[in-house]
Amino acid sequence: MTSSIEQAGPVQLLLKVGASGGSGWSRLYPEGPPFGYFCSYWPEELVLSLGWEPYRMLPASANATPGRLPAFCCSLARACLAAAEAGEYRELAGVGFGHTCDTIQSLAGIWPHERTFLLVPPVALQAPGALAYHTAQLASLWRRLAGQAGKEPDPAALRRAIRLTNRIRALAGRLDEMRPRLPSPLVSAILRAGQIMPREAYAAALEAALPELAGAAASPQGRRRLLISGPALENDGLYELLEELGARVVADDTCTGHRHFTGLVAEDEEPLAAIAGRYASIPACPCRFKHLDDRPDHLAALARDREADGVILVVRKYCDPHAWDAVSVAKRLRGEGLPVLVLEMQTATPGEQERTRVQAFLECL
Amino acid sequence: MAAERRYLPLQSARYLERTMKKYYLLTRYQKLWGRPLGRPLAWITSGAPVEILRAFGVDVVYPENYGALCGARRVAPELCKVAEAAGYSPDLCSYARSSLGAVLRPDLAPMGGLPSPDLLVVCNNICGTVLKWYEALAAHFQVPLFILDTPFVAEELDDAAVEYVLEQVRSLIAGLERLTGRRLRSAELSRRFELSNEAVRLWGEIRSLCHHRPSPLNVPDLFVHMAPIVVLRGTPAAVAYYRRLYDEVRERVRQGQAAVAGERYRLLWDNIAIWYRIYNFYKEFSARGACFVTDTYTGGWAAELAPGDPLESLARTYTGIFLNRGVDFRVRQMVDLIRDYQVDGFVMHSNRSCKPYSLIQEEIRRRVVNKTGVPGLIIEADMADSRVYAEEPVRNRVQAFLENLGG
Repeated sequence: MTSSIEQAGPVQLLLKVGASGGSGWSRLYPEGPPFGYFCSYWPEELVLSLGWEPYRMLPASANATPGRLPAFCCSLARACLAAAEAGEYRELAGVGFGHTCDTIQSLAGIWPHERTFLLVPPVALQAPGALAYHTAQLASLWRRLAGQAGKEPDPAALRRAIRLTNRIRALAGRLDEMRPRLPSPLVSAILRAGQIMPREAYAAALEAALPELAGAAASPQGRRRLLISGPALENDGLYELLEELGARVVADDTCTGHRHFTGLVAEDEEPLAAIAGRYASIPACPCRFKHLDDRPDHLAALARDREADGVILVVRKYCDPHAWDAVSVAKRLRGEGLPVLVLEMQTATPGEQERTRVQAFLECL
Repeated sequence: MAAERRYLPLQSARYLERTMKKYYLLTRYQKLWGRPLGRPLAWITSGAPVEILRAFGVDVVYPENYGALCGARRVAPELCKVAEAAGYSPDLCSYARSSLGAVLRPDLAPMGGLPSPDLLVVCNNICGTVLKWYEALAAHFQVPLFILDTPFVAEELDDAAVEYVLEQVRSLIAGLERLTGRRLRSAELSRRFELSNEAVRLWGEIRSLCHHRPSPLNVPDLFVHMAPIVVLRGTPAAVAYYRRLYDEVRERVRQGQAAVAGERYRLLWDNIAIWYRIYNFYKEFSARGACFVTDTYTGGWAAELAPGDPLESLARTYTGIFLNRGVDFRVRQMVDLIRDYQVDGFVMHSNRSCKPYSLIQEEIRRRVVNKTGVPGLIIEADMADSRVYAEEPVRNRVQAFLENLGG
């Protein structure tokens, strides 16, 4: 880490790392390259157990047009591929893809580096045999990763990794509880930092930061209370816009938000089955299926629980799973009397068009 | 003076028309005749194991086939607009949008839309979209949704994945037993497997006849005549249809008849057809003596169920289909086709509606060109939504490609 980050207090440290987003991973990991990964369905625990640090791949710049992907592909995939082709990720210890959508499946197939791993979890999380299948895939992946690391899979190391990630999830849960009383970009940046910085350091910093954050927390007085749901957001642009326009994100169901941290791995069970079990128990993303009403039920309950005044469903351009779910989720939430804005964005950075739409939406609340 | 006709139509086209008309007529009135017989109607994806449903006496319709039909009849844009007005993004699959548009506005849809389903069966071996599409249908129709989750096969199909799919197949069978009130008869399942395999074998042989020079078929023939292997697989009607088609195509080979008169170039097509230009697009090629002698898409229905335990065979076959495989598999597939069919060049349809097919095409193109030395062209279009089709840029690219082929 840079000296300025080392000298910062815990909140400043987390904000700086969170703001760095997808750029400059080498500064965060001076002791050796981390292991890059896409999607929360990639099991960080396995990576940690082998002595690597998991590093979520987020694009530094969304304006990229790599020749090997057509224009009708989401900006996250295009930007990450462009960065990879430019050699930005060449030194990573490896790159892992949690199979989610057709785009991530394709990106994994054309990723330009060796040391690329794909995990294919079940889509139908509660289908017969899904848990056993998922556990078997995790076991296979762990063996392959261990081979890459030149180590033997070590159950004790895996249990330690589970304890660490559980600790982080619990701390992130406490932060999420404070969310209505904290500026939205601050919370999103701190949660993002938990996906891109060394995990022991993150846990320590977050634990140290929570009292300071609790002290600074204040009622959102007069701000419109929003639930936002959507894909991975690589920066705080949308959160900053919402805060600027007088809103507050009181509940967050984005891929890089609290959904990434929700649920705990059972520490008293066989580790791999327990990791699979956590994925089966947490609220599903649009790429997974539990039952038809799973996501609408979850989001409706979340909105009620956090007393949201409205909901913004973010759809990244060309992201099919979120675009599909936006229809059914919006219908359900509107049916419950909640105003909903489906906001299509090219990247995580809102432009004037998005500002106008959000502004109009907030005025209607 | 009229331009010389370079394209030889198949006599079987009339038989195909009769076969498909009968299928859609029976489907349209299925509620009248099927209900008294206790035969539910399922909507099912093209890559789902239909043999099981047929063994239960469940009748099936294919929204994907219907989407292709909407594309070919050029009504897809209007139906897509209906779906878009209901909130579905114009970037989503045009088969799905056409299908949902037809559900919402049957008055705009060919044949008044498909008859409403009693159940839905989705298998995600072709894409992730079908699951979201069928979720939307299940929410609309409020009928049971059966899901067969076939994990993507990046390299080799592993035993854990087969066992997972097998468990779901057993669960599907149990679900159908509850729904129909009937037990699965293994003899009937075997009969359906045999019928399915026989049609698939014939379809594979018909495709194989295109090894001959000149090729007896052009890819529009394959696209048009694949309909029964999709919608009637596992029935005597499909077997009868493909026997007849095989005889006609074999006779063409015997007589040395070419699908494209004066065949000069033998090409390979990759991806689904551009249905609203199914003949006009390929005319650009046939006018210059270029015949698409094979393709990657219609071959997806040429994989026979392997012998052995029928359910395990089914789990392996349906999980291992080409659209559920990684880049290496797809490259090998194209390289093999180029070698086997003596192909001079290939054209890839970068299909906005089909991401798993299209997003890896440029990588495949580069690797295939490297391995074979055969040139490849990518054109961007959509399988059913003609609003995104830019005629002139596509024509320019095609002409330049054909000029290059001519050296």
